[in-house]
Amino acid sequence: QAVHSGPITELHRRKQLAPPIRMTQMLCQSRSQSQGSDPLNSGVTVKLRTRLLVSLLFGGGLLGAWAYVYWEKQQRRWQQRTEQLRKVALGQGTFSLVDHTGRRRTKQDFLGSWVLLYFGFTHCPDICPDELDKLSAAVAVLDQDASLPPVQPLFITVDPERDGVPALARYVKDFHPRLIGLTGTPEEVKHAGRDYRVYASPGPKDQDGDYIVDHSILIYLLSPDGLFLDYYNRMKSSEQIADSVRNHMRSYQRL
Amino acid sequence: MTAPNSAERRVCWDARDLLWKCLDDNHDSAEACQKQQSHFQDKCPAQWVRYFSKRRDFLKYKERIQTEGFTPAEGPREKS
Repeated sequence: QAVHSGPITELHRRKQLAPPIRMTQMLCQSRSQSQGSDPLNSGVTVKLRTRLLVSLLFGGGLLGAWAYVYWEKQQRRWQQRTEQLRKVALGQGTFSLVDHTGRRRTKQDFLGSWVLLYFGFTHCPDICPDELDKLSAAVAVLDQDASLPPVQPLFITVDPERDGVPALARYVKDFHPRLIGLTGTPEEVKHAGRDYRVYASPGPKDQDGDYIVDHSILIYLLSPDGLFLDYYNRMKSSEQIADSVRNHMRSYQRL
Repeated sequence: MTAPNSAERRVCWDARDLLWKCLDDNHDSAEACQKQQSHFQDKCPAQWVRYFSKRRDFLKYKERIQTEGFTPAEGPREKS
């Protein structure tokens, strides 16, 4: 059996012995002070009650100060992140694509709206439907808040060879009613993707001519100026995305 | 060929889930799950069958690494 020894345990032992001695000294002092005027017990308890109250207030004040400093640090960290993302300056360019109704749309058409943008393809086995479901859910949550402007969900294909207007039309109706699908020529699509540094690489075709496009999986948040503000990866839930967008909207309005 | 719509995707995912449950229950024995395998291949495009098979292999591999650890590959034996 190990025997604890050394300077640290000595201090520990002394600490354990000290308080009771000091407490009884305090009680003796207060007892002798109040002996003349008040009854013994009420004098001691009044002093104890005020002492307790003062300690609680002091402790509460400390806690409040700590909470405020913590909150302020979180705000600053969030602002720094937004600044850094702004420096990365994705989505500075323009794009010109065709939507799922055949109408030509450019980036200009979406200025003035908050946009949640996702790049994917319709032949995607599971990831794109999951992410679009998540995006739709986030937009639905934000729709419920009447004080916030409506968010425009966008889906841009990384597979222009197969995802023409009819394919997009079929695809987007399974998600949020406001979701707009965008496609175009391979050049137009590549240009839009490059603007957001999207990685996309079609895999080998099998005997049916089917293939899977390997691509980066991100949901981008664009401000009404068309500036890239934030991004959300696979691990962010729809609630987290909605909270983050709400946060951005509120701070944006303050500016 | 057109992409599967929402209902077809769900049918494919359900078939995949049935297959994976069968494999989990039978220690990944392919013989025990022939029925589920053929149902899965029937309901999903060939590319998706390959994609999900690779996905399962990856998930199993990840589980193995997380529980059993792994030995890093040895470096070159001869000095370059």
